[in-house]
Amino acid sequence: MKIYLDNNATTRIAPEVLDAMLPFLTERFGNPSSFHSFGSDQMEDIEAAREKVAALLGAHAEEIVFTSGGTESDNMALLGAMKINPLKPGLVTSRIEHPAVLETAEYIKSKGHPVGLAEVNSNGTLNMDSLESCISEQTGLVSIMMANNETGLIMPVAEAALIAHERGALFHTDAVQAVSKIPVDVRSSGIDMLSISAHKLHGPKGVGALFIRKGIEIPPFMLGGHQEKGMRAGTYNTAGIVGLGVAASLAVRHLSEENGRTGLLLERLEGGILEKCPGAVIVGADVERLPNTATVLFRGVESEAVMTLLDMEGICVSSGSACSSGDGSSSYVLSAMGIDAVDANTALRFSLSRYTTGREIDCVLEVLPPIIEKLMEISPYA
Amino acid sequence: MWKYSKKLMDHFMNPRNSGQLLNPDCHSEVGSPQCGDAMTLDIQVDDEDRIAEIRFMTFGCAGAIAAASALTEIAKGKTLEEALAISNDQIVEFLGGMPKEKYHCSVMGHEALSLAIADFRHRRDSTAEHLDSILSEIPFDLAAAVGNGSISIEHIHPLRVFVRLSGGDEEPVTAVLEKELRKRTGKIVKVSVTR
Repeated sequence: MKIYLDNNATTRIAPEVLDAMLPFLTERFGNPSSFHSFGSDQMEDIEAAREKVAALLGAHAEEIVFTSGGTESDNMALLGAMKINPLKPGLVTSRIEHPAVLETAEYIKSKGHPVGLAEVNSNGTLNMDSLESCISEQTGLVSIMMANNETGLIMPVAEAALIAHERGALFHTDAVQAVSKIPVDVRSSGIDMLSISAHKLHGPKGVGALFIRKGIEIPPFMLGGHQEKGMRAGTYNTAGIVGLGVAASLAVRHLSEENGRTGLLLERLEGGILEKCPGAVIVGADVERLPNTATVLFRGVESEAVMTLLDMEGICVSSGSACSSGDGSSSYVLSAMGIDAVDANTALRFSLSRYTTGREIDCVLEVLPPIIEKLMEISPYA
Repeated sequence: MWKYSKKLMDHFMNPRNSGQLLNPDCHSEVGSPQCGDAMTLDIQVDDEDRIAEIRFMTFGCAGAIAAASALTEIAKGKTLEEALAISNDQIVEFLGGMPKEKYHCSVMGHEALSLAIADFRHRRDSTAEHLDSILSEIPFDLAAAVGNGSISIEHIHPLRVFVRLSGGDEEPVTAVLEKELRKRTGKIVKVSVTR
């Protein structure tokens, strides 16, 4: 049996989500864009899903565009904003964004438009002075993630949105990690665009959405058919969209009570690690974090070695190090916080979900400390 | 997860020759500032220039730890010359293969070994120089012990020197010579005599 503590990577599909999706993968295979009712009846299911996603975000249904996931939503928002006003094609974002934002920013820069990357403080919070100084007359969009995927640190999006608006720029947030874990309300936060992904909230992979505030017109992202009012061509992923809708409703229902429970389990995990693993340091311990994420530096012990041993015990976590991906460079997120390469390569990320149990946490607290101790014995840094 | 061989996993889970030596003859520390991996190596060399004891410490992934363990197993018992000839491919082969992306892990061990052997040779050279300077002018008070023979250097280890006395017309007093040379060099001295 696996103990899955890598929910920031992806989550299990909720049984209710799967049940809702199955008919669209079997008998109800029609195309929602067809004339006949066998297909076109499904538009009702799609619109119902749109209502549910809107409810999760505090948005109106017509402000939701379905996409293939978080990456597409980020691309659509950033590349779309670049084209709204030729006098303001510039983008300001931060050093710790997801690659879906950073690589798109790089592309915008390669097109000759100004791109600024705001710094973060050593505790991982956004450096607001740096953000302000990055914004220029040409900045059309400010994009700041709602919560960081590696550290779980929550970014001050409402404050950043206010700054963007004062300087005449729109505000987008990549809320892929935040939605379902903390309350999100696009209206009160002054958010103009927001990206979500279904598979991070117990929905299926390959589907997501972009909230685009009414009144903002960005050009279509995919060219082709008339789906999504021409904003995003391509045959509807009906099963996926329905799954996202149910996942959104479940997220609304579970938000307060379940996150309280997840938060307590996380505290138990962090407390146990600090007690049993001397030298362990929790990243961003003193700042606001998602209730499901803890990134811990086990100083002196390389994270991939730990993950390999945990994997043998059926425990799934992830690391802040990219040595695991073979390119030999350490996490840019931890590096932006001023954590050096050696310490960054000791980082392990534990991300919980509403399916995580207390027994699983206790099991990790049994298995992990001897692994750290064993590797510490042969560490030249110990 | 990487696809690691059984043998590699065994060397990762049960690393051979890990730790440190209390009195190493030579030592090296290497690291890759880019990915943070680091390694230390302690070696004891016997009087035939063979690696008698070797210990490593590694900060790195399973591949890096297993590669260091494999390196020590391959190097143990080899002469320094032979050890220097150990290739990365040999380490990878010893471990029953390694994912291509992990080849760089085996490089660190090789680098550590080269540096440790260079450290050994450096120490040996300074011992040799010191001994040379002492022997170039046999002090008056040692002349009797040498018995008018000539002294040649047999073998030098950073901590131990072996000299040979040959010729001469009087019985040499090796015990006195050993004691005096030990006092002057600070090393263990063995004197052998050829008549």
